[in-house]
Amino acid sequence: MSDVRPYLWLIPALPLTAAAITGVFGPRLLRRHSHWPCILAGAGACVVAVLTCLAVYQDIAASEHSQPQQVRVYYEWIRVGDPGAGRGIEVGFGLNADALSAMMVLVVTFVGTLIAIYSVGYMHDDEGYARFFAEVSLFLFMMTTLVLADNFVLLYLGWEGVGLCSYLLIGFWFTKPAAAAAARKAFLVTRIGDMGLLLGILLLWSRFGHYLDYQHIFDNVQSAHKAGTLDYGLLTTACLLLLCGAVGKSAQFPLHVWLPDAMEGPTPVSALIHAATMVTAGVYLVARCTPLFALAPDAQVIVASLGALSALLTALIALTQNDLKRVLAYSTISQLGYMFLALGSGVRSGSEAFVTFAVLAALFHLFTHAFFKALLFLSAGSVMHAMGNVIDMRRFGGLRKVLPQTHWTFLCGGAALAGFPLLSGFWSKDEILDAAWTAGLHAEQYRGWYLVLWLVGLLTAGLTAFYTFRAYFMTFWGEERIPQEAFEHPHGHAAHGGTPRLESPPVMTVPLMVLAVFAVGVGLVLGPTHLFGHFVAHTPDLPEYEAEVPNYFMMVISSLVALAGIATAWWMYVRQPDLPARLAKSAQGLYQLSLNKFHIDELYEAFLLAPLAGFTTFIRIFDLYVLDSLVDLTGQLFRWLGLRFRPVQNGLVQFYALAMVLGLTVFLIALLLKL
Amino acid sequence: MPQLLLLLLALPLATALLVALLGPGRTLAVRWVSLFSALASLLLATVISISFAIARTWEAPAVDITKGTLTFDSDWIKYKTRENLLPLHTTADGTVDSAIQFYVGIDGLNIWLILLTAVLMLTCVLVSWTAITQRVHEFHAWLFVLQLGMTGVFASFDVILFYVFFELTLVPLFFVIGIWGGPQRQYAARKFFIYTLAGSLLTLLGVIGLVLVLPQVEADHDPGQSHQLTFAIPELIARVGTLNRELFQEVKQLEQAPADMEANLQQARAQLNYWRHVQLWVFVAMMCGFAVKVPMVPLHTWLPLAHVEAPTAGSVLLAGILLKLGTYGFLRLSVPLAPDASLRFGVPVLGTLAVVGIIYGAFCSLGQDDIKKLVAYSSVSHLGLCMLGLFALNEVGLTGSLLQMINHGLSTGALFLLVGMLYERYHTRKMADYGGMGARLHLLAVFMVFITLSSIGLPGLNGFLGELLALAGMYDFAGSQVQGSLLAGLGASGVVLGAWYMLTMVRQVFCGPLKEPPHQGHEPITDLNGRELAALLPIAGLCLALGIFPKPFFDTVRPEIQVVARIAEAARKRAEKDAFGHELQTSTIHRFARNGLSLAAKGGERK
Repeated sequence: MSDVRPYLWLIPALPLTAAAITGVFGPRLLRRHSHWPCILAGAGACVVAVLTCLAVYQDIAASEHSQPQQVRVYYEWIRVGDPGAGRGIEVGFGLNADALSAMMVLVVTFVGTLIAIYSVGYMHDDEGYARFFAEVSLFLFMMTTLVLADNFVLLYLGWEGVGLCSYLLIGFWFTKPAAAAAARKAFLVTRIGDMGLLLGILLLWSRFGHYLDYQHIFDNVQSAHKAGTLDYGLLTTACLLLLCGAVGKSAQFPLHVWLPDAMEGPTPVSALIHAATMVTAGVYLVARCTPLFALAPDAQVIVASLGALSALLTALIALTQNDLKRVLAYSTISQLGYMFLALGSGVRSGSEAFVTFAVLAALFHLFTHAFFKALLFLSAGSVMHAMGNVIDMRRFGGLRKVLPQTHWTFLCGGAALAGFPLLSGFWSKDEILDAAWTAGLHAEQYRGWYLVLWLVGLLTAGLTAFYTFRAYFMTFWGEERIPQEAFEHPHGHAAHGGTPRLESPPVMTVPLMVLAVFAVGVGLVLGPTHLFGHFVAHTPDLPEYEAEVPNYFMMVISSLVALAGIATAWWMYVRQPDLPARLAKSAQGLYQLSLNKFHIDELYEAFLLAPLAGFTTFIRIFDLYVLDSLVDLTGQLFRWLGLRFRPVQNGLVQFYALAMVLGLTVFLIALLLKL
Repeated sequence: MPQLLLLLLALPLATALLVALLGPGRTLAVRWVSLFSALASLLLATVISISFAIARTWEAPAVDITKGTLTFDSDWIKYKTRENLLPLHTTADGTVDSAIQFYVGIDGLNIWLILLTAVLMLTCVLVSWTAITQRVHEFHAWLFVLQLGMTGVFASFDVILFYVFFELTLVPLFFVIGIWGGPQRQYAARKFFIYTLAGSLLTLLGVIGLVLVLPQVEADHDPGQSHQLTFAIPELIARVGTLNRELFQEVKQLEQAPADMEANLQQARAQLNYWRHVQLWVFVAMMCGFAVKVPMVPLHTWLPLAHVEAPTAGSVLLAGILLKLGTYGFLRLSVPLAPDASLRFGVPVLGTLAVVGIIYGAFCSLGQDDIKKLVAYSSVSHLGLCMLGLFALNEVGLTGSLLQMINHGLSTGALFLLVGMLYERYHTRKMADYGGMGARLHLLAVFMVFITLSSIGLPGLNGFLGELLALAGMYDFAGSQVQGSLLAGLGASGVVLGAWYMLTMVRQVFCGPLKEPPHQGHEPITDLNGRELAALLPIAGLCLALGIFPKPFFDTVRPEIQVVARIAEAARKRAEKDAFGHELQTSTIHRFARNGLSLAAKGGERK
């Protein structure tokens, strides 16, 4: 097979073309067919991505060592100063097809295409049908650019671009005040992180040789490290600044507050952007910068701690939420936290290979998570679609007969998320716990702390299983309850006689089934066989990797924890349905804390936004009344001086003569004294 | 073909006269003549800039930038016209070697600003089509006088000519605001006029001071030659650069010399010190005018008032072009003519004020309820970023600064246009009166979001590149005068704050449930019409083009930017080697005053 990598540009170019076509012709010409450009472009890009993966795999098979990066610069974007002499900026539209990028782009285009197909059913009667698909196409362009970029500035373009698409799509129903507010919040909160990312990029550029592409920066840092001239403090700072960006985009504590609100957008958007792809950009960034992070153990421990903290905190919040989509949103933050825990565990511990192992664990979880979390969101969307846009789990129940297909797909996704043995989430989560455990045993620094983090991870695994199956049992088990809105909803499949058919149309359920197959099987196929690890480990700049012996001890423990979580959920929500209410009453304080998301939004409001609003008012008043008054006062000063001197011009000739004589006298005296 | 530039200058003047002569009756004729003239100007400016850009981008290097010259080489100036206006000195054989000249031309620093002027003029004529109904001919006449002034400032290569055009811009704008403005128009016009005039008179003082003192210092240093007054900017810069280098080298050489040369050393040091004080005062004097124009916080209070009261066309030109006269002045005159003072005084003081401006302007924007005021204060913030890049004094920062001037002209110009279009429909600018306009005015909303994205620096649009380069330049600032990374870090907060106030505005006005202000129901409210689209599309297109393909811009500005960067770099090297330079660390008012006194004393001694 011929090498497709010269045509790599097709991957971002196809969705961009689709976005342009749909944006221009969609509302007038394409109308109800507006989904075609998006789906075709997504599928086309997906094919190129598959071929790229194969080409990379062939290279790997041909030689056991890491391949040099396959970078192609298509055109020169920025060139200022004299980059050759190390005093300028040079950025090209350069795309890079190494194993990591190829894997990411495959996930993005594959999940993206399935979700676009699903959206045909979900969005079918929406006014902004064309706008929706134009924005999804634009998102695919930005996201593929982000993961294919060979330099930080192009990455930043994709980074901000996906942020923009997220903003536009969260605010898709912009006449809804909650959606408009959520969109702005998402953009601003992630922008705080982006400021850090930008500064981190500038720091790397300014202090490590005035380059912006990965290869040069990593090489410069590596050679400085080997020569012993590396400023580790500066490197740690750079890593932490990059982490800021990752924390914002991947919704980690303390910048996680935007993601739950982002559920105001259409559900396919939540699945695509806020679960499977965009939010993993932070994980991708840190994984991409492994050569930097591996040299900054202080930064790594912060990465791991933030990850573990986010994982635990949001798992605790998810325990009590009643909005199905929000449960999934908190679960997304929690799972992303897992990935950061794994990335942060990648510290040198005797062998360099362990760093790669930890990064692979994170990326494998990213990979499996994309499938099962997209599946869960889309299934939730299917429920929502059937229930007439009701998403509060207290208002429906026992839907497993009503929505049989959705029930099965949700179960597959939920079991994978919970880490049910042999499903995909099990394999990847297990690797993460293994990574944290190994770091706890062998790391050069912070050993005890990593063990604590491992324990947090294990606890979170149990919580995850519990809240996932809580949501599952509340939705699909118990007595059958269907809200009134479900019947008011003018559904395409009108009722034939008795109860109306509520299950979603095939255009929605088929993508669900495809994703379900992946959610169940992809871990087993790629995990224990080391196919995934072997592939991605050949990313240049990752240290050499040896496949590790499976840690059966960890597998048994995490299986037990997951099963215990599922069993507890079954006990509380199927066997003893009145138990949760009693528990909530007996631990009212804790229950309220979790239900109110630990009051973090309110804390920000009180300690950040309110003072800033006060400051804004102060500045406005200061500017209007103090600063401007000073200016006016200066003007008044001259007017006042003029008034003081006005009597001098009194029109009396004698007075003028007197003044002249006086002046002349003074002048003469001065002259005489000088002489 | 120097005629093209002359034509570009003559066209507005002729149009102004013609339109004025057409009289009050024929408004339609006035509008069409204006439109054609603006179109012709745009065509001319486009031809000039494209041919210039092609010459620099794709053809064989017309400019040998490796030559290492430290002034705007007069060979690089295209479309040049140089005529003596006021000869001051004639040599024995009858040639004039000192004169105030009519010296205009095109180079990398002004080409894009001149094009921007032409673009915005066209939009101004279009947007005034229905907005201006009183004294139409006068309005357009003043508009074209304004265009003459703006183009003239950018094209001037003679300091006196520069100043004349600089002040010429005040008069038409004074009338535009004072006659066609809002309720407080007279107060606003007066304040704008007096404030900026007071500043620019000091600028004149500084320029003349430099021109007069320079030959004296040269004569002291090198009595053999004859040293004439020079008003041409390239020659002035070259002579200042030579003097800087020679005075400094003399001191350095004498420091190495045996001890019996001590008296000479003292004298050389005194000369250098005196020259540096001159530079400092020249810089400060020029700064007064330019900083008001930019405007730097805290000299900005005339701006929101003038913007809010001005008619849309006035606001567009004020924000788009006139503010750039300040930053352009710094770039063209202050830094090259007083490089040491720029480094020692300009970087710490103006760099800090720039950061203050970024944050202060953003918070002011955030606190406004009037959309136009919000946009006006956002100018303070964006121009702060421009100044931050400028006073990084390296190639990256200077390029970013120049790009930021263009970007701000485009995006803020377009924002004022959009606000004006909204105002024309509903006659209110209070954000609280609006809501959900996105559902009512689709196209206007699309343009507003697009321009907002350009303004908050979304990569792929123009704003990002200016932001990136300006911040990168300051981050990379090499001298010890300020902590560049700290200033850049603080300046980067503009990234968040800018998005905050702009998106708050978008959310309030265009999102949420529809809430239309009550309007005098003459006609139904309609979305953008063809005329308005014609005004907006060129700007939006340029925003996108500059964002994804900025190469022609970078290539055209490179030689001149490198000249300024090299001049500043030389000053930085001098400052590094300077043993007694620390006494000139003029970051406090206290030192400032002392230097002033010693300069006066020196001046007295020399008499």
